[in-house]
Amino acid sequence: MKAMVFSEKADLSSQMLTLFRNTFEMDLYTTSNENLLNFGAKNVFKLTGNNLYVDNISEKLAEMYKNNGYDIIIIGSSAMGREISSLLSEILHLEAITEVMKIEPKDGIIATERFFYGGKTVIREESEAKIFTVLPGLVDPQPVNSSSTENNISIDKDSAIKVVDQIEKPKSSVNLEKADIIVSAGRGIGKKEGLAVIQQLADVLHGEVGGSRPVCLDYHWLSEERQVGLSGKRVKPKVYVACGISGQVQHIAGMRGSRMVIAINKDKNAPIFNECDYGIVGDLYAVIPKLIEAMKK
Amino acid sequence: MYNIIVCFKQILDIDQMKVDESTQEPILKNLPYRLEDLSKNAIEEAVRIKEKYGGKVIGITYGGDQATLAMKEALAMGVDEGIILKGYKENNPEITSDVLAKKISGMQYDIIIMGNQSADSYTGLVPGKVARKLSIPLVGNAIKLEMADRRVRITRTGEEKNLVLESNLPALVTVEQEINEPRLPPLIQIMAAGRKPMKIEEIQVNVKSTKKVIWNRAPKSERKRIVFEDVDKGVAEISKVLKGEVK
Repeated sequence: MKAMVFSEKADLSSQMLTLFRNTFEMDLYTTSNENLLNFGAKNVFKLTGNNLYVDNISEKLAEMYKNNGYDIIIIGSSAMGREISSLLSEILHLEAITEVMKIEPKDGIIATERFFYGGKTVIREESEAKIFTVLPGLVDPQPVNSSSTENNISIDKDSAIKVVDQIEKPKSSVNLEKADIIVSAGRGIGKKEGLAVIQQLADVLHGEVGGSRPVCLDYHWLSEERQVGLSGKRVKPKVYVACGISGQVQHIAGMRGSRMVIAINKDKNAPIFNECDYGIVGDLYAVIPKLIEAMKK
Repeated sequence: MYNIIVCFKQILDIDQMKVDESTQEPILKNLPYRLEDLSKNAIEEAVRIKEKYGGKVIGITYGGDQATLAMKEALAMGVDEGIILKGYKENNPEITSDVLAKKISGMQYDIIIMGNQSADSYTGLVPGKVARKLSIPLVGNAIKLEMADRRVRITRTGEEKNLVLESNLPALVTVEQEINEPRLPPLIQIMAAGRKPMKIEEIQVNVKSTKKVIWNRAPKSERKRIVFEDVDKGVAEISKVLKGEVK
């Protein structure tokens, strides 16, 4: 089967090419400027243009899909990727399934697996869908020895949307997806100052600090790049220490890949205790200093 | 003055959802419904546009028997009129986008607001599909929204940069959680919501989807679940384990 693969991101592109190189013959379409020629795509098409946005990119991809006889379209899951998949699904009248972790073709039917109910469950579906978006971080990119053919495609059509300004964000200071040890703070810390003790524990463990959705997005006590959860970072450290985190499904789905989970929470009925290897029922402000002291011994 | 449409979704309360230990399937019986998280942000933003620039907000939801509850909450938050499209049976963006677009195509509107992804299914397909069916621009993932000269201007989050985007109206804008803090309507507004116009229309679905659910179950948790209620004992045990992990 011949697959059209798109992502605006280099990391997602190389991940998808690694993940599916034994299943499909793939051409990569991307707006990234990074070198993606050695990840197993037959062709790499670089999309260029003055005002690239989801609408004119989708229209060009639809045209290429029809002209080049692809069987399916695989798109990296990002805000842009999901938008493009929804537009492509309408332009080409093809069904789409987003945020999948698995794509298994068999006899014209494709089986997919994706999170459902906010990450509480995984749903396996079979369909004749032709468009899929794939979650990031499913695989570490592996280069191949052969090189793809490089092509350029310029998109002349203007977007209906105008970019009137670009606001630089502070450079990312942390990559939680790559951290070995993460100490995460939840609503249970109660105040921003509570992060100090979380940081101390992280320092002792040589780990990074993460946070739940309320801590990062509602209270802004931590930056959004530290948010662990289905809508934030999906992490897989060796050790994940959840402090004052109740364990809502959204959060669990983001840290389920952790090898060991330790939970500290004063509510013994908190759902996090069902998702941990070791737990302590107690006030984190009493427990953590003791834990730090014990670690220093 | 703007004609504003806000589309929102009612979902099962996933945070109260339990899993059957033997089958790993979710137990849906007696599970309450709630207004979906980003739907609240969408409603809030629609009402703020009305309050700031003038106009009228019409709320649309494609739902089941319980949808009146979600609509009443939206009306209490400041939506002026509600339309319930009744007949929702399954999570399927093909169907939902078709139902919404058919209804909206016969209406007057300048701007449509939706959440960018729902908290239960996370497909994120409905806004783009509706926008394309209506042949209007999709302006996605807003964390800030302003209207000026019959145009909409949003700030969209990006990984390294945030983009400020502008589009002519009519347009469909999706919002992220950061855009606002949804209001909790005071009791008087909840009471008054009952007097606002609310239409219920039965929907016949004739969209074909090839999607079949094979299973839907919670991943098996292989965690040890050794939980200490004695803090000192827990600290002693856990620090021992941690020392084995931390170099």
